[in-house]
Amino acid sequence: MPKTLIVGEIQKGELREATLELVAFARKLGGDVVSLVMGSDAANRAEGLAKGGGGKVLAAAHAGLDSYSATGWAQAIRVAVEAESPELILISNTPCGWDVAPKLAAQLDLGIITDVFQIEQDGADLVFLRRMFNGKFDARFRVEGTPVIATVQPGAVAAYEGDEAGTVEALEVGDFQPRSAYLETKTAPAGGHDLSKAEIIVSGGRGLQKPENFDAVLKPLVEALGAQMGASRPVVDAGWLPHDHQVGTSGQIVQPKLYVAVGISGAIQHLVGMKNSNYIIAINKDPDAPIFEVADLGVVGDLFEIVPALAKAVSKAKG
Amino acid sequence: MKILVCLKQVPHKDARLDVNAEGTWIDDANIKFEINAYDSYALEEALRIKDAGEAEVVVASIGPDRVSQALRTALGMGADRAAHIWDDALAQTDSLGIAKTLAGYARGESFDLVLMGLMADDDNYALVGPMLAELLGVPFATAVMKVERKNGELVVERELEGGSLEVRSLPVPCLLTVQTGINEVRYASLKGIMQAKKKPLDTKALGDLGLSADDVAPRVRLEKMYPPPKGEGAEMVEGSADEVSGRLVTKIKELGLL
Repeated sequence: MPKTLIVGEIQKGELREATLELVAFARKLGGDVVSLVMGSDAANRAEGLAKGGGGKVLAAAHAGLDSYSATGWAQAIRVAVEAESPELILISNTPCGWDVAPKLAAQLDLGIITDVFQIEQDGADLVFLRRMFNGKFDARFRVEGTPVIATVQPGAVAAYEGDEAGTVEALEVGDFQPRSAYLETKTAPAGGHDLSKAEIIVSGGRGLQKPENFDAVLKPLVEALGAQMGASRPVVDAGWLPHDHQVGTSGQIVQPKLYVAVGISGAIQHLVGMKNSNYIIAINKDPDAPIFEVADLGVVGDLFEIVPALAKAVSKAKG
Repeated sequence: MKILVCLKQVPHKDARLDVNAEGTWIDDANIKFEINAYDSYALEEALRIKDAGEAEVVVASIGPDRVSQALRTALGMGADRAAHIWDDALAQTDSLGIAKTLAGYARGESFDLVLMGLMADDDNYALVGPMLAELLGVPFATAVMKVERKNGELVVERELEGGSLEVRSLPVPCLLTVQTGINEVRYASLKGIMQAKKKPLDTKALGDLGLSADDVAPRVRLEKMYPPPKGEGAEMVEGSADEVSGRLVTKIKELGLL
């Protein structure tokens, strides 16, 4: 049972749900749990995390940690590691986490495994499970030496729920000078293509082959269903549709009554964005496409035959 | 400005992938390879800086013989010279070993900017960039969607979640990992491909970089790779396009959406 250090993350003044998911991982492994919370308001956030299962919570109250910098985070984590000697360091695989974790591994010369969705104890070893090839395969890993750094896929497990008697201690991280300067955060402009209220979303992927097919093939189905059009990342990357059409972790997280995925294989980052839809229909030519794992109804076949036929059938059903 | 672009060659995005007999990686004997998509965006970003003024673009890749093809493609797109790094000891290394190898190469050249993709499409680790930056002692930013030069610094926008962007300013030298969609990647022109044949492509072994097999001994071991366990999965509908459509319409009606 490893002693685990959890690196907490505060977003907009609140502890992220992802941090409580790390708690769930650590508690399941069953060893001692120590957590780190950073920023001027660390002491207050640390109270919440201590009650939420974070064990002994180290509060690194330092104004320099209010906005993310790899230098600041790495220093705070390093000081916590020196003070606590954990065997496992858990960091959420968020834009902050994936940025700092490899830096820390190189700095401390440690083994690291990213974006894991499961951690198991096997004798004295820890075994880490993660996806490979954009979700096409899963793989098991072992890492030599301690501590091991693992970044964890947000949403892989439910957040820990429990009322625990944790403690809070101040952690003095010392001074540091970020190597790059934070200037600002730009949020997505309002009034874009908002998919969050759509009852039905029909999304197209690379299987549509070219941009014209979104109008020629997908749009008749979108209109027949009175749906909104969405897209996978490769489609917006290629400029076939604007970025605000993207469904996925880096785009919009959606939960419509019906989600129709057309020619989308189902990379993890897309699945995370749509898997909580009430009902999912997937149309894809590859029977092994990961999208069929989250779909309720699946059709393996040529979308260029099925989608027009479906659009016609929907129009007919409407009378 | 001297720019290094680190490229990985990965299975072609349309290749049919199966796990090898040992269950430790894919069976890569008879498949097509290509430059990792994330890295091709990084290369394009470097070539745009070159097009806008004075810059030398060097591409480096670690991998077996087939990797020289990826480097020739990069030279055909406009890179000036290439380094092909390989050593049998690198076959089993991990991300930190790759980063140490690239650091060994980069130290001999003093680059102003190092660019590479956020992650590779095969392993999806997303580790080498920040590791390399740390080993070289330079600042870095990950998942970059925009790069601008301003007063001798680079102002970058890095992608956060939900369409938000973080704007940071980095002094040079620095390292950036690039997110897909940052630009539109060019194709190698016929002229470019012809010229590429005359451009220098050096080969380097670990010893040439001042490293030994021990320096890149892996700590992270992939024990088993396998197709994800089938969950309940979808109920599959079969038949002609019209039959399938009929079933889907029935379902959509049941959901109360028609």
